[in-house]
Amino acid sequence: MDNVNQAISDTWSIYGTELSSRLLIGSALYPSPAIMQESIKQSQAEVVTVSLRRQSPESAGGQAFWQQIQSLGKKILPNTAGCHSIQEAVTLAQMSREIFDTDWIKLELVGDEYNLQPDPIDLVKATEILLNDGFKVLPYCTDDLVICRHLVELGCEVLMPWGAPIGTGKGLLNPYALSAIRHRFPQISLVVDAGIGLPSHAAQALELGYDAVLLNSAIAQAQDPVMMAKAFKSAIDAGRLGYLGGRMPEKDTANPSTPTLGMPFWHQM
Amino acid sequence: MKIAVVGSGLVGRLLAWQLSQHHQITLYDKDFKTAKHSAGFIAAAMLAPVAESVIASQLVVGLGQLSVKLWPNILSQLKQPVFYQQAGSLILAHAQDRGDLTSFCQRLKLQDGLTQVNSQQIAELEPQIQGRFHQGVWLENEAQIDNRALYQALLHALVNAGVQQIETTHADITDNRVYANGEQTDFDWVFDCRGLGAQVDLKKLRGVRGEVARVYAPEVKLNRPIRLLHPRYPIYIVPKPNHEYVIGATEIESDSDKAMTVRSALELLSAAYSVHSGFAEAQITSLDAGLRPSLPDNEPAIITDGKCIRINSLYRHGYLLAPAVIAHALNLFNQLSEQQTRYFYQAEQLSESHFSQLTGHFEGK
Repeated sequence: MDNVNQAISDTWSIYGTELSSRLLIGSALYPSPAIMQESIKQSQAEVVTVSLRRQSPESAGGQAFWQQIQSLGKKILPNTAGCHSIQEAVTLAQMSREIFDTDWIKLELVGDEYNLQPDPIDLVKATEILLNDGFKVLPYCTDDLVICRHLVELGCEVLMPWGAPIGTGKGLLNPYALSAIRHRFPQISLVVDAGIGLPSHAAQALELGYDAVLLNSAIAQAQDPVMMAKAFKSAIDAGRLGYLGGRMPEKDTANPSTPTLGMPFWHQM
Repeated sequence: MKIAVVGSGLVGRLLAWQLSQHHQITLYDKDFKTAKHSAGFIAAAMLAPVAESVIASQLVVGLGQLSVKLWPNILSQLKQPVFYQQAGSLILAHAQDRGDLTSFCQRLKLQDGLTQVNSQQIAELEPQIQGRFHQGVWLENEAQIDNRALYQALLHALVNAGVQQIETTHADITDNRVYANGEQTDFDWVFDCRGLGAQVDLKKLRGVRGEVARVYAPEVKLNRPIRLLHPRYPIYIVPKPNHEYVIGATEIESDSDKAMTVRSALELLSAAYSVHSGFAEAQITSLDAGLRPSLPDNEPAIITDGKCIRINSLYRHGYLLAPAVIAHALNLFNQLSEQQTRYFYQAEQLSESHFSQLTGHFEGK
């Protein structure tokens, strides 16, 4: 039991800030702000992402809504969702630094309008500009190892590769690529961002050794978002313990743990 | 009795008109004639309790079902005709958004009059968009209103009923007192229908921005509202009289009422074009942005404050909720003022549980 508690209380970090919850949760698409607040509470997430792009941040248009998020006392991770160019993303990052008084930025640069796939090339360029400007950048990227390497070389301490395109809920489409990133960057905090649909998908990400998952629609668009938030909390704990517990080796043939005495010899061939 | 109604948006207008049949009414607003800041004037005025049940609570769905029953009776009492149509609505998705249609169906809290439709059935309902869509859902009981005609008809009825109109940019309310244009007036009762203007008294009230396009499209003939599912939010196309179509609406958590953005205009108009290419040559008559007054649970509320009754937070459901919420507010008013005046509803149509939810949780608001 002690081991279990110890495992759940182990921490990871975003640029030196220690966190114990391994869920980062989004604040969009809930049926109401009241349900959003309750879902975030039940998820026990410590970090909440906030999108500013369409809310007229220049005139603090989303103030009333942001206050609802800030009143939860969580760490705010502003994002640049909806930005298509480097300049847009940089300007929005600077605005959000002032509004939320944080140097964290989830950098999201849309490369394809339809599935919101990140633009890997401009992402690297914008990351460099923002890191030089003193931001702690959390880039939302694809699962391309080489792009990840460029981002790490620039100084990113956190990477957020996708599980699947935003809002699809398909789960981890390429566990092999995600695993490769984990093995190559053991010192980097890795977060699966986007594409999670079910608690089991989140558990799988943690089992692969990812430090955390970031999700929004899977909870906000569930039939009962508050219940789904609890489910994700449990799944993420399970996935983390599963990783720490160390999986048994996978084999191609069954290997009975007790001798099959009762089985006729011609079946044991 | 001498009653003030503060705010002449959808709720204020409808309420003042009903009250004016039995009481002496003073109506305050900043702009009676154009009503261009009123969410109810900008809206598409759909009565879609089933489609909205995807996001709306049981309370909103239940009140919506009552409103759909009450509207025809309300409209029949108005002297000026107001277009009302109950031809259902059609929910469609392009092939690549099929998943959104499945998700929509799974999340419905109400299934009344629902039929899954294929290409052929879609073509029968809407011949002009034949071949463009292969799956959809027809919700046959849903309705819609010409809201701009309604605003005019209600204003006309208010004038005929001798309602005093006071134009003021700002009105404060304390108990049964209204302060406006530097004057203080006492009433027997005050109804606060200011929408977002009530933020001074309801601190948790916020605006949820919505943007809507109106076009004149003589080449297009759609028989009923169409809701097109989109990965981010549903876009509806609502046919009004005289070839006018309302295309909306964005939903953005922002209090900014600046003019519509280019992105929103592109999204709305390209969605309409993807449903019917006849929209290419339509004339854009207006691009409007407005704010939906909403409390944190996005549910309507009736709040009593001494001799002031506040009605607020109809959020994106003004037409779906107004008659039902006003019926409950008038019922409460009858109780508080110990009267038994007959208004546009039957007492047995009202539900105890809806009433307690509407009036119940003041503290949170």
